[in-house]
Amino acid sequence: MASPFSPASSLSPAASSSSTSGQPLVEKPPVPPVNILPSPTSQIYSFVQPTLLLTLFAFRFDALTANPARELLNSLPWVLLLQLSYVMVCLPPVGTVPSPSSSKVTDTGSPVPGDGERKSAPRSPSSPSVALRPGKPGYRRKQQTGKNVWAGIWAKLMPAFLSLALLSLLATPVLAILLVLFGAPLTTQNAETMLCAAHMAVLSATALIYVHGVDGAAWKEVWGFALPADTVWGGALGTGLGAWFGAIPIPLDWDRPWQAFPITILVGAYIGYAVGTLVSRSPFLYGKRIRFAPEDNEIAEKKKN
Amino acid sequence: MVQSQTPRSVREDLNPNSSSISSPPSGSKGPQGKVPAETTRQLEQDFKRKHLGVLGVLVWILVVHLAGIWFFKKGFLLTRMVLEDKSSCDVLPLDDSASLSQTRDGCWHDKSFDKAVVIIIDALRYDFTVPFAPKDESESVHLFHNNIPVLYETSVNNPANAFLLPFIADPPTTTLQRLKGLTTGTLPTFLDAGSNFAGSAIDEDNLVAQLRNAGKNLVQLGDDTWHSLFPGYFDANLTHAYDSFNVWDLHTVDNGVTEHLFPLLRPENRTKWDVIFGHYLGVDHAGHRYGPNHAAMAAKLQEMDRVIRDIIAALDDKTLLVVMGDHGMDIKGDHGGESDDEVEAALWMYSKKGIFGRTTKDTLLPPKHARERFVPQIDLVPTLSLLLGMPIPFNNIGSPIEEAFAGSKGNDFANLLAVNRLTAAQIKRYQHQYVIARGAGEDAESMALWAAAEAEWKIASKSKTAAVRSSYDLYRRYQRHTLEICRGLWARFDVPSMIQGIAISFVGIALLVFYARGLKGDRTELTPRLLAFVGVGSGVGAVAGAASALLALTEMPTVEASALLGTIGSLLGASLAIFKESSNLSLPLPNGMWGWLAVFFTVSQSIGFASNSYTIWEDDILLFFLTTFGVCAGISSMRQKATTGRVLGVYHSILFIILGRLASFSRLCREEQMPFCVSTYYSSATSSISAPWQLAIPFTVTLFLPGVVRSFYAGSKSYEGAATLWIGFAFRLGLLVTSMFWILEAADDGEWLPLRKDTLKTVRVFLAQLVLALAFGAGTGAYLYTKPCVSISVSKPQDDPNAPPAPIIAGQQQQPRTTLTILGFGNVYGTRFFFLVINFALAIILMQKPMGQGAIALLVWQILSLLEILDTNALTLTNSAIGPVVLGLLGSFYFFKTGHQAVLSSIQWETAFIPLSTIKYPWSPLVVILNTFGAQILVAIAVPLTVLWKRPLQTHDRVSQPSSPSAKLINPATKMLSDVVQAATSHILYLATINLATTMWAGHLRRHLMLYRIFCPRFMMGAGVLAVVDVVIILFAIAGVRWSTLSVGEIFGW
Repeated sequence: MASPFSPASSLSPAASSSSTSGQPLVEKPPVPPVNILPSPTSQIYSFVQPTLLLTLFAFRFDALTANPARELLNSLPWVLLLQLSYVMVCLPPVGTVPSPSSSKVTDTGSPVPGDGERKSAPRSPSSPSVALRPGKPGYRRKQQTGKNVWAGIWAKLMPAFLSLALLSLLATPVLAILLVLFGAPLTTQNAETMLCAAHMAVLSATALIYVHGVDGAAWKEVWGFALPADTVWGGALGTGLGAWFGAIPIPLDWDRPWQAFPITILVGAYIGYAVGTLVSRSPFLYGKRIRFAPEDNEIAEKKKN
Repeated sequence: MVQSQTPRSVREDLNPNSSSISSPPSGSKGPQGKVPAETTRQLEQDFKRKHLGVLGVLVWILVVHLAGIWFFKKGFLLTRMVLEDKSSCDVLPLDDSASLSQTRDGCWHDKSFDKAVVIIIDALRYDFTVPFAPKDESESVHLFHNNIPVLYETSVNNPANAFLLPFIADPPTTTLQRLKGLTTGTLPTFLDAGSNFAGSAIDEDNLVAQLRNAGKNLVQLGDDTWHSLFPGYFDANLTHAYDSFNVWDLHTVDNGVTEHLFPLLRPENRTKWDVIFGHYLGVDHAGHRYGPNHAAMAAKLQEMDRVIRDIIAALDDKTLLVVMGDHGMDIKGDHGGESDDEVEAALWMYSKKGIFGRTTKDTLLPPKHARERFVPQIDLVPTLSLLLGMPIPFNNIGSPIEEAFAGSKGNDFANLLAVNRLTAAQIKRYQHQYVIARGAGEDAESMALWAAAEAEWKIASKSKTAAVRSSYDLYRRYQRHTLEICRGLWARFDVPSMIQGIAISFVGIALLVFYARGLKGDRTELTPRLLAFVGVGSGVGAVAGAASALLALTEMPTVEASALLGTIGSLLGASLAIFKESSNLSLPLPNGMWGWLAVFFTVSQSIGFASNSYTIWEDDILLFFLTTFGVCAGISSMRQKATTGRVLGVYHSILFIILGRLASFSRLCREEQMPFCVSTYYSSATSSISAPWQLAIPFTVTLFLPGVVRSFYAGSKSYEGAATLWIGFAFRLGLLVTSMFWILEAADDGEWLPLRKDTLKTVRVFLAQLVLALAFGAGTGAYLYTKPCVSISVSKPQDDPNAPPAPIIAGQQQQPRTTLTILGFGNVYGTRFFFLVINFALAIILMQKPMGQGAIALLVWQILSLLEILDTNALTLTNSAIGPVVLGLLGSFYFFKTGHQAVLSSIQWETAFIPLSTIKYPWSPLVVILNTFGAQILVAIAVPLTVLWKRPLQTHDRVSQPSSPSAKLINPATKMLSDVVQAATSHILYLATINLATTMWAGHLRRHLMLYRIFCPRFMMGAGVLAVVDVVIILFAIAGVRWSTLSVGEIFGW
C-alpha cells in the first residue's frame, strides 16, 4: 500500500501540472499538512484519544451486537464529545492553519521553538515539506495573542460548533448515501445506515471541518484525496478505508451475530481511524500525498507513440 | 450542409476543442493533398494484413483456453465406467442350488403383475401430493398445495392398494438424466447434464431393454426424450411422442397423452400392450413458465388428479399403476440442480390386487414431508423389475421398496428377504465386475456385511425365526452401503488431467499477461513471428503426441496426446516468440493507481471464489467493486485542473455509480441467498413470469435509451450522418417492436386477448424475427457500409459533386479562403464503432425478460458513462487496464441483473422460443446463449471503445515528420489496432483469470459439500463466459474494428 505514496515535492498535483498545463489560472499552492499542537497535553491526549475510542468500542461491542441501532444512537453523543474534545485540545482551529492563499506567511516562520517531539525530529532537512509545516506557526500566533483566555476558547468553540453543524447537515447524509450506493439496503435498516454514517462522519469529518473550515481549496483537495498525510487526513482516510474493508466479512456464512450489516463496517472504521490518525503522523508518511495517475512522463511517452 | 446543433446533454460546449475543428487551410496542410494514392493503398493493405494476423493470434488464445478447459473438465466432471454386461432371465445372481431348483412364475422371482401403466408427471414435487403441512407457522397454503389429493387419499383409505412415498432424485435433476436413473438403476454423472439438448441412446442394461427382450410390447406416450434414449424400443403404431422443449405450451403434450392413453385401457385393447410409459409435461412447463405458485399450476394439478382417477377406474386387476415425478422444482419452478425442492419428487403405486403393505404402524400414513422415509429414485428399478417378473438390470444399485413386497398384512418377511437377497446378489455381482474392470480391490466392509447377511440367511432358511428379519435388514444394509460407496466412487477425479488443464490455463495466462501488458511498441509487429512459432510448436507437439501414443509411450488416446502436446508446443513457441527480443518487453507491473486497481479487482475476486459465500454473493460484491471504481473515478476527476474535465468526470462518475445501484434492484436470488435476498426479477419469488408493471420497462427503454445514446453522440457533435437514422429511427423502432413482443407475450400468459394461442404465437415470433433482422441483418449491412458520424461543412462551398469525399477535403484546401468545419471530428472512431454495440444491444434486449431489458439499457448507459470517465481521466490514451477490467466487472454484474445466477436452473431455456416456434439447431442454443451471456457479450463488443472513444484522428502525415520523407512510413492505423488488441486481450485476461480461479478452486475443493451446488456451476459458468467472449471478440469486436477503421480512412485518409 505504500507505493502510491511519494514525496510531496515531486508529485503534488500543483508541482506536476504547473509545468504541463499552460492554463492562465492562478495555481493555488497545495494545502499544507497539519500537526498536533506541541503542548504536552495535546501530544499526550492525541495518543490517548484513539486508544480511548477503541477501548470504548471494544467495551460496548456486545451491546452493539445485541441491538446495533440503539447502541449506536446511545453512544453517538459520547463519541462526538470525545472527538470534539480531541480536536479542541490537540488541533489548531480553522483560521490558525494557514490557508493555501496565505501560505507564504508560513515560509517565514518555519523554525519552531519547543518542537522537541520525536515525531518531527527525524525529518530530513532536505524535505521541502519542512517549510510547509503549518500547525506550529498558527499555534505560536495564537499563543501570542491568547491573553484573553475567553477569546482563545471562543476561537476553538466556533469551529467546533461549525463541525457539529456540518457533520449533521452534510457529512452524515453524504456518507449514508455512499453506504447505500455501496450496497447497503435502501428500503430496510435505514436507522442503522444513518447511524453508521453518523459515526463515520464524526470520526472522519470532525477534525477536517475543525481544521479546514469551509475553505474551498482545502475541500477540493479532500474530494480529490490530494491532502498531504497528517493526523486529520489520515484519520479520515483510515475511517473510509477501514469501513471499506469492514464490509468484507459480511457475506461469509459464519452465522455470527456481529456479521449484521453496520457492525463490521464500524469496526473497520474505528480501527481504520485509530490506525490512520496515528500512522499518518509517522515521519515516513507525514506530508506525503496519494499518487493517483501514472507518472506524467509515461503519459507523455505514450502520447508520442 | 450547415448544422443547427442543439446538444442537450451536459456535455454541451464543454469540450469544443475536441468536437469540432475549424481548420483554416494552411501551408503545413499542403502535403496532404499530395499524398500519393500508392501510399494510401499501401497503408490500407498493411492495416488489413495486420488485422488478419491479429485475429490469428486471438484464435490461438481461444484454442489455448479451450484446451485448458477441456483437459480440466475431462478429469473433473464425474466419470463412471459403463459395464456392457446384461442381466439375463436364465442366469440368477445367486449360485446356490436352493434358488436354482425352484420353479417360478417369473424370471428371478414370482411376478405380481403382468402389465403396468407407468405415468410420469414431470416435476411432480412431493409436497404437491400430500395435504399441506406447514414447516413453520408463517407458511401458508400456496396455489400448488392440495390440488392432487387422489394419491394421498387412496394411500390412506386403501393401504393395501396404494402407497405414496417421497422419491428423491440424484442430481442433476434434468429429465434426461432422471430417465436414465429410473431405468438403469444407477447414478448419473454430472457431465451428462449438458446433453439434455440432444440426448443419446442408453447402452447400459436397463428396464426398458429387459422388457423389450422378454417380448413385451411397450407403448410410450408424451415426452419424446424417451425416444432419444430408447430408439426403436416402442410399438410404432401405438406410441405417440411429443416435443418436450416447448415449455410455453402447457397442454399439447398432456392432451396427447390423455387422448391416446385411455383407448388403450379399454378391455378390447388390453391385449395390444404390456407396459405403457406415459409422460406428462404440463406440470413441469407450468413451473418453468409461471412458477409453482400460479393458478395455471393449480389447474394443471387438478387436471392430473382427474386423469389419475380415470385411469384407476379403467384399470384391471392384473395391471400395476405407477405415478411418479422424475424430479421436483425450485421455488421459481425450474430444476437442474440439487436443492431440496428440486430433488424431492413423489412416487405412488396402485393396484386393485391389494398386495401392498406396511411393516410397522408408524409407516401407515404417507410422510408429511419429503425428508421422512424417502426412497431414492433408483429403487424403482428393482421394484418394478421384480413385480413384473423381470431380471434386475445389471448395473442397478437400488433396493426393492419395502411397501411393494411386504404383503397386505405387512408381515411377509420371507418375500422381503427373498427380493432383497436377489437384489443384493445382483449388486454384488455388479460390484465384482466393476472392481475387475477397474482393477481395484473390493470393499472390506461391504464384504463383511454380505457375509453376515448370508450367515443369517442360512439360519433363516432352516428355522423360520427372527433371523428372517435380521437377515433382511443385513441385506438391506449391504445394498445401502454399496450405494454409498458408489456415490463416493463415482465422484472420482482424474487429478493428472485436471492438473494438465490448470497448467495449460496458467501458462496461457502468464503469456497473455506479457502479450497484453508487457509489450512495448506496436504489438502487431510481433504477429508474424508469434504465429510462426506457435504453428511450428503446435505442429511438432501434435506429431510428438501422436507418435508417443502410437508407440504406446503413454496410455492416453492418440487424439488427446497430440492435443496436449500440441498445446504445450504452441505455448513453448509463443514463449520463445515473446521473450526472444527482451528489448521489446517491460515488466508487466501495473503502473499507477488505476493499474493496481485493475489488478486488485481481478485478484481479489479470484481469491473470493475459494469461498462459497463470496461465490453466492458475487452480485453484491460486483456492485461493491463497481461503486469503488466509480468513487475512485470521481476522486481522480476532482484532481483535474481544467474545470470542464473536472465537472464532466465527476458527473459521469456519479452517474456511473447511481446507474449501477439502480440496476442492482433487479435481482433473482439463488436458493443459498435466502432469506437475505428478495427476488424482483419476476412478479414473485415463486413465479417465472413478469409482473404487469414490469411491462412498462420495455416502453421506458424505447422512450429513453435512444435519447441517452444520442446525448453522448451529441456531446462530441457526432450525432451526424448515419447516427441520426440508426439511433434516432432504427434503434427506436427495434425497441418499440420488442416492447410489443413482450406485451403480446404477457397477453398470452394472462389470456387478456380473445385470440387463439397459435395466432398470438405466430405474431410474436414474427415480431421477434423482425427485430433480429433489424439488429443483425440490416444492422450488420449498415455497419459495414456506413460512413463515419461526421458532418463536413464548408463556409464557401465549391461544389464538385463527382469527386469522392476524400478529394473534397484535399481539393478545398487548395482554395485559400475556404474554412472547413468538420462536426463530430473529435470522436470519429468511437461513434463509428459504437454502432456495433447498438446492434447487439437491440438483439440482447429482445432476448431478455422485461426486467432484464431495463438492466441491459442501464448497461449501455453505464458503458457510455465509463467511456467518458476513461476519456476525461486520460485513460484511453494510456491504454490503462482499468477500462477493459471494469467492462469485465460490468459484464459479470449484469449477468446477475438479467435474472441469472451461477446455477444451472437459472438458465432461461424458454427464451429459445422467442424468435422460433420449434427447436432448431444451431439457432436455439445460440438464442439461449444470447440470453444467458448477453451482458458479457455486449461488454466484449464494447471493449475496443476503451481505446477508440474520443481517440484523436491520426493519419500518417499528421504523425510522421514531414521533413523526413525517407523515414519508415508510420501507420497510425496499426498503432490503433495494437491498442485495440491490448484492450481486448486485457479484457480476456480478466475473464481468463476468473476462469482459472474458479477452475482451481473447483478442483481443489472437489470433496467440498457444496461442490455441485456452488463451485462446479461457477466453474462451468466461468469457462462458458470465457469461450463465448473469446469468440465474440474475434468474430465481432476485433473484426468490427476493421470496417470502422476502413470507413474512417476512406474519408480522412490513412
